[in-house]
Amino acid sequence: MAAQPKAIPAEYPSYLKGDPISWLNTIDHKRVGVLYGVSALFFMMLGGIEALLIRIQLFEPNNTFLSAHVYNQVFTMHGTTMIFLVVMPLLLGFAANFLVPLQIGARDVAFPRLNALSFWIFLSGAVFLHMGWFWHHGGLPDAGWFGYANLTERQYTPGMAIDFWDIGLLILGVSTVMTGLNFFTTIVTMRAPGMTYMRMPMFVWSILVTSILILLAFPPLTVGLIFLFMDRFFGTHYYQAVAGATPILWQHLFWLFGHPEVYIMALPAFGMISEIIPTFSRKPLFGYPMMAYSLILIAFLSYGVWGHHMFATGMGPVADATFAITSMLIAIPTGIKIFSWIATVWGGSLKMTTAFYFALGFIVEFTIGGLSGIMHAAVPIDLQQTDSYFVVAHFHYVLFGGVMFAILGAFYYWWPKVTGRMLSEKLGKVQFWLTVIGFNGTFFPMHFLGTWGMPRRIYTYGSGMGWTFWNQFETVSAFILGFAFLLMFINMLRSLRDGEIAPADPWDARTLEWSIPSPPPAFNFVTVPSVSGRDAFWARKYGTGSHGAAAVASAGDPPNGEAEAIHMPEPSFFPIVLAAGLLLCGLGVVVAWWRLIMAGGVILFLSIIGMAFQYPTFGQHTHETEAASGGGGEDLRKVGLWAFIGSESVFFATLIATFMVYKSRSMGGPGADVLEIPLTSFSTFILLMSSLLMVLALAATQRGDKTWQRVWLAGTVLFGLIFLGDQAYEFTSLYHHGLGFTTDLFSQCFFTLVGFHGFHVFIGVVWLSVLLVVSFMDRLPKSRALSVELAGLYWHFVDIVWVVIFTLVYLMQKVKGA
Amino acid sequence: MRARFAQRKLSGLAPLMLALPAVVAGCQRANPPMNTLAPKSDYANWIYSLFVEVTWLDLFVLGIVVVAFVLAVFVFSRRAGEGEAASETHTDMRLELAWTLGPAFILLLIAIPTIRTIFREEPPAPPADSLKVTVIAHQWWWEFRYPGTPIVTANELHIPEHRPVWVSLRSADVIHSFWVPALGGKRDVIPGQVNHMWFIANTPGEYYGQCAEFCGDSHANMRFRVFVDTPAQFAAWEKAQEAPPVQPAAGTRAAKGAAIFANSPCTACHTITGVSKGYIGPNLTHLASRTTIAGGIMKNDPKDLKAWIENPVGLKPGANMPALGLRGPELDDLVAYLGSLK
Amino acid sequence: MTAEAAVHEQFEQHVHPGASVYVTVAAFLVVLTALEITVFYVQALAPVMIPLLLILSAAKFVLVAGFYMHLRYDSYVLTSIFGFALVIAAVLLISLLLLFTYLSHHLWFAVPLARILLPGH
Repeated sequence: MAAQPKAIPAEYPSYLKGDPISWLNTIDHKRVGVLYGVSALFFMMLGGIEALLIRIQLFEPNNTFLSAHVYNQVFTMHGTTMIFLVVMPLLLGFAANFLVPLQIGARDVAFPRLNALSFWIFLSGAVFLHMGWFWHHGGLPDAGWFGYANLTERQYTPGMAIDFWDIGLLILGVSTVMTGLNFFTTIVTMRAPGMTYMRMPMFVWSILVTSILILLAFPPLTVGLIFLFMDRFFGTHYYQAVAGATPILWQHLFWLFGHPEVYIMALPAFGMISEIIPTFSRKPLFGYPMMAYSLILIAFLSYGVWGHHMFATGMGPVADATFAITSMLIAIPTGIKIFSWIATVWGGSLKMTTAFYFALGFIVEFTIGGLSGIMHAAVPIDLQQTDSYFVVAHFHYVLFGGVMFAILGAFYYWWPKVTGRMLSEKLGKVQFWLTVIGFNGTFFPMHFLGTWGMPRRIYTYGSGMGWTFWNQFETVSAFILGFAFLLMFINMLRSLRDGEIAPADPWDARTLEWSIPSPPPAFNFVTVPSVSGRDAFWARKYGTGSHGAAAVASAGDPPNGEAEAIHMPEPSFFPIVLAAGLLLCGLGVVVAWWRLIMAGGVILFLSIIGMAFQYPTFGQHTHETEAASGGGGEDLRKVGLWAFIGSESVFFATLIATFMVYKSRSMGGPGADVLEIPLTSFSTFILLMSSLLMVLALAATQRGDKTWQRVWLAGTVLFGLIFLGDQAYEFTSLYHHGLGFTTDLFSQCFFTLVGFHGFHVFIGVVWLSVLLVVSFMDRLPKSRALSVELAGLYWHFVDIVWVVIFTLVYLMQKVKGA
Repeated sequence: MRARFAQRKLSGLAPLMLALPAVVAGCQRANPPMNTLAPKSDYANWIYSLFVEVTWLDLFVLGIVVVAFVLAVFVFSRRAGEGEAASETHTDMRLELAWTLGPAFILLLIAIPTIRTIFREEPPAPPADSLKVTVIAHQWWWEFRYPGTPIVTANELHIPEHRPVWVSLRSADVIHSFWVPALGGKRDVIPGQVNHMWFIANTPGEYYGQCAEFCGDSHANMRFRVFVDTPAQFAAWEKAQEAPPVQPAAGTRAAKGAAIFANSPCTACHTITGVSKGYIGPNLTHLASRTTIAGGIMKNDPKDLKAWIENPVGLKPGANMPALGLRGPELDDLVAYLGSLK
Repeated sequence: MTAEAAVHEQFEQHVHPGASVYVTVAAFLVVLTALEITVFYVQALAPVMIPLLLILSAAKFVLVAGFYMHLRYDSYVLTSIFGFALVIAAVLLISLLLLFTYLSHHLWFAVPLARILLPGH
């Protein structure tokens, strides 16, 4: 019945083969995925131990097992670790990295070196978060994973812990955005011939939508963290309750990121469940189009619900009611997903594996979490339940009962593909039942504790509160849960040592990753598969289903002699070196040691230059064969750059919004009238004209006209420099008029916004200067016009940001806020 | 079919089976002092009735999901290798429409009372005849003022029953959250912003409150009480609080303590009307009229008071009050004086 | 037709305009900027300044994005990427402005709303 498992052909070694050093410079998406997975499992143990410490401390009233200070560090790091260092790296770094190229029939991601860079930067960010351990005045961050200002200001939390937290999250954010950019471009441009959007596996759909969420949700967090950095290091007042500023700004920026972040974690989990359930029900996914649309709808709505984390802050009844409605609306697409999964099981021929157990467990546990979520959307109920243990119960049902169950299911499902070995199903089922008991025992009683008024984040409680029994019950259950995870690690080690060898397709599955050997060869596919319907591999095995076009029944990947012709990009050490430079740089900032910053900066700069000249990108090399299938025929580098520009748009929108809000609240100070219109009109003119020169340079390149290419490029650089000179002059004269960086809210927001724009101009000037040098080296022929076009796109983007700034900041200077 | 149903492990029902005895056992326990399910004000009542309504609707939806789940897994499906192959059904327009519109209808049932309650609990202006109270949150204790009167107290709020109370919330440092579960939902206390809430308490009694927004080291130790008095009790309490502090009779230990207090660094932070004007710590003018000290974590008796003065930071991590090193008879005298400040 | 030829043809579809179009667009940009500055200085236009400036700068934005960034000529995929990001950016900007200004300080429309929602209260 099932396709015959294909032996691993000896001539194609598995991607796992190679000496240990080759893991440090690898850019193979599967190896990068494994690196992510191993790191995340380590941090999972760490976060789990932190959870158990929390539970021991709460075992009895007035416990002194942990001091208040240590407890606050432990719960802060438990949240930060589980979200940023466990769930996201497992879902995106590991699962998506490993599976997306395999599921869409590609040989790697769009930007393999960027992918390796993402991992190393992730690792340095993770290390950075924990560095406070090693300093006398450090300690771990202790203001909660949500780091509410103004508690995070230096006045209330001195020491370096928050600095490590702030910069650590910035570093992790860089890594995540690069990952999002990479997956987005990969899925848009590198799908196998015939794989239209509506034929993609649902997991790929979920990663596509998640990538968009990442690109557009991380900028507000980045901006928020930069403001915090400025407050702590430069003495601005973004979150101090002085001079008209308000700590509430942090909450808005944080939850503008924070709520989409919930879906960044949930959607890939939905995707995994949507793969596991059809496989083990032996039925196609029910309601595929609605499943895809509901992902998009959830993503879109998730940008309009952040206020439901802030009902208690007093936003006013109209805002409260609006956020209540948008939050409730999310329940509709989520409900569609739950019912569709059940309908997929209905009438199926079920194969009761551990992976399927976890997927079924997910449906029930996640539903409970979703339903208690509706209570939080109902504002008055939320006002009783928020910041109580009820909300702790709610999000653990979502993030553990939902996301972690999906991860565990996925772990049992894809482990054979990753390692080439089978896990013990028997041990797996014991783990499942212990997890169900331990999980519900730990988190269900939190609903009671919450309704009985136990607040979150308290390190101790009195004995007369009626909370003792359930806390003890939870602690015992938490240890059962911990034991279940121990079984998983035992299962893994046993499987790696002497597990049964896995066939290519152990589950009789439906998607393309099962059509190649387990573990796959480095280049994944001998021949790029061609797809004619959903569940491409199933169709290949069993012919026509009730959907999709006819497919020829043939088992596996027909091997032929083409493997020799496959060109894979060379490995690179630059990613790991660059990440190390970033780590040193950040460390230098926190400990205020200039030499360290310089050393890190030099390493950073040299490795970027080294990377740029190492070899032409993978994209250039492959677009002839692969990019044609998606992206409307656009080159993948162009798609990637546009995705980056999209992310930057949200970054600048956040800065502009802050500027406008704070300008209207600014007190004292000279005010916006000091801005000079004639000078900035000239700057505007210069920048607009530089855009003209830029397109002329592109046109010259496309004609193959070297002389004019150089003239126009040089002109663009010159105009960019004039703009920067103007800006330097403007800033100096403002300073002499008494408008310093920290004079008032207006000035700090003005200098931040316009300064960041100026920094983008500077980057553009550097980029164009490099192109100019390349042009003089005669290495910018017609065939590389794309390089000029990409630099141009960035340059014009910086130009249109200025168009907006010129109008909103300069010309509307007299407009006071509402 | 039925036999197999019984044989199968009831994987989906496990959490419910676990939850059921928990619910039963939970309901039997004595009323916890911060129970949100025992409302003692009109505001808390509105929330409670909404909570009950949403809970039933949630249970109804959960019931549908669980029934569908059990039917799908245990009744209307086969096990791999048994019987015929799986069905290929993968779409059903009517079904999909039903599970889009059904939940939408239920959400409408929740949204309408939700929005009505939002507007009811957040009026644009104080209700007529309301008692105005200003709450000032500090790391990590609560200050209560009654505008229009000289009354300043800490960690224990007195209010009359059956009269609207309009609470204005201010913070002296970071964000806190004012929460008395029996009297209503939370409202954050935010520096640089004055928040409001209001309620009409309907049952005299002593209710527990606690800071609900993480605010630093001793967040867990930032507790307080609300005493809902009968109008007569409240009037008496107000009168006592407005009175000047007790002057200890000469020669008593309390009188010695008064001298120690007046010459100690205590005066830099604490006010006793007519004696000192510190404002960083709680007002002590009528300290002995309160039942608790130290943010509600200790009893107000000589033993606890003594322990507190000896080692504030040990008992309340991060507290701003330093240990002054007072010992033996001096400390006893001071405690005697503070204990006399009815 | 070979795959490469097909790709070639697809790329050929996105022929970028020549220098004359670019210069014309630049002329428009200069004129629009001049108009903006005029609006700023002419007192008589003060009441309609905000909408005028927004329209003029939006026009500049569209010209640069459409012609210089070639969105007018390239695949719709690129336009949708940028468009979606701009929608989210606009939602973010407008809602933050509303939340910090009208919604928190001006409850004038909350009162009639409350009357509608709470009959007899």
